[in-house]
Amino acid sequence: MKECGKKNFLNILMNKLILFLLFIICSLQVSVEEGQVNFDKDAYPFTSETKESLFYSLLNELRCPKCQSSNLAGSNSPISNDLKREVYELVVEGKSSRQIKDHLVDRYGNFIIYNPPIEPATYALWFGPFILILLSALVIILVRKRII
Amino acid sequence: MKKIIDALPLVVFASLIIVLFSFLSDKDDQLETALIDSSFPDFNLGSLSDESRLLTKQDIIKLPALINVWATWCIACRVEHPFLMKLKEESILTIYGLNYKDNKLKALDLLERDGNPFEFSIYDFEGRLAIDLGVYGAPETFFIDKNGLIRERHVGVIDERVWEEKFSKYLNE
Repeated sequence: MKECGKKNFLNILMNKLILFLLFIICSLQVSVEEGQVNFDKDAYPFTSETKESLFYSLLNELRCPKCQSSNLAGSNSPISNDLKREVYELVVEGKSSRQIKDHLVDRYGNFIIYNPPIEPATYALWFGPFILILLSALVIILVRKRII
Repeated sequence: MKKIIDALPLVVFASLIIVLFSFLSDKDDQLETALIDSSFPDFNLGSLSDESRLLTKQDIIKLPALINVWATWCIACRVEHPFLMKLKEESILTIYGLNYKDNKLKALDLLERDGNPFEFSIYDFEGRLAIDLGVYGAPETFFIDKNGLIRERHVGVIDERVWEEKFSKYLNE
């Protein structure tokens, strides 16, 4: 009987461990995909390295409006290529990251940036998780103190 | 009190499900339009029918008007074509075309064959005016009021229902 309980415990532990590993692997996958951009660098020639790195960081931060779940860097749709050209031209003109993002937000709305500004429409997005954490903490405390 | 608190998670969960489901029934994935109530962007592009004729914002003079983003590669554009023809034939309002990333000959051919609902079509092969309008696909339709302001935008096929729901109210202003 005791033996059986031990086996059960080991089983549960193994299951948890596998779940945990799966979770880690899944998160790794995402970060690899984000970091990897295969690019024909010759298509966008730059005279300075700062401009070049600004260009590629913007491509990672800007969202493709057509595909909706990938950034400009990861999309080869015609609209993405047009926007890459637009961003390229603005970078070459010497516009700052802020100016370029504003330029695109004026046309496509906040949707186009993966890092939306904090404003009433995005309060739930920015503060929602913290409120949930607070609520959960509150519930846990109440349960522990046997108030509930 | 205890009963209420016990029921709370269920209530919260149920309302979350309801909220998320309501997003599901939002069938068109229309992006917000950043340009509502702003004036039509400046442009400088050739005409589809005559490349030597340069068109600018000053050529869009018959207002109120629709600007319809179309292309021959866009199947949905053919679906809405008869409705645009109807708007033109019944002289409801002027329609300007924005021919988007298209083959010029094919585009002219299509207008020849199926009829031309447009006062003229702007030929935007590189999608420049399209970016200034926040276009992300075709078809898209913009309503410009008599003061030259963009008042409404629709992504997807425009038909009788869309016209009645989204556009016609601006015509009667």
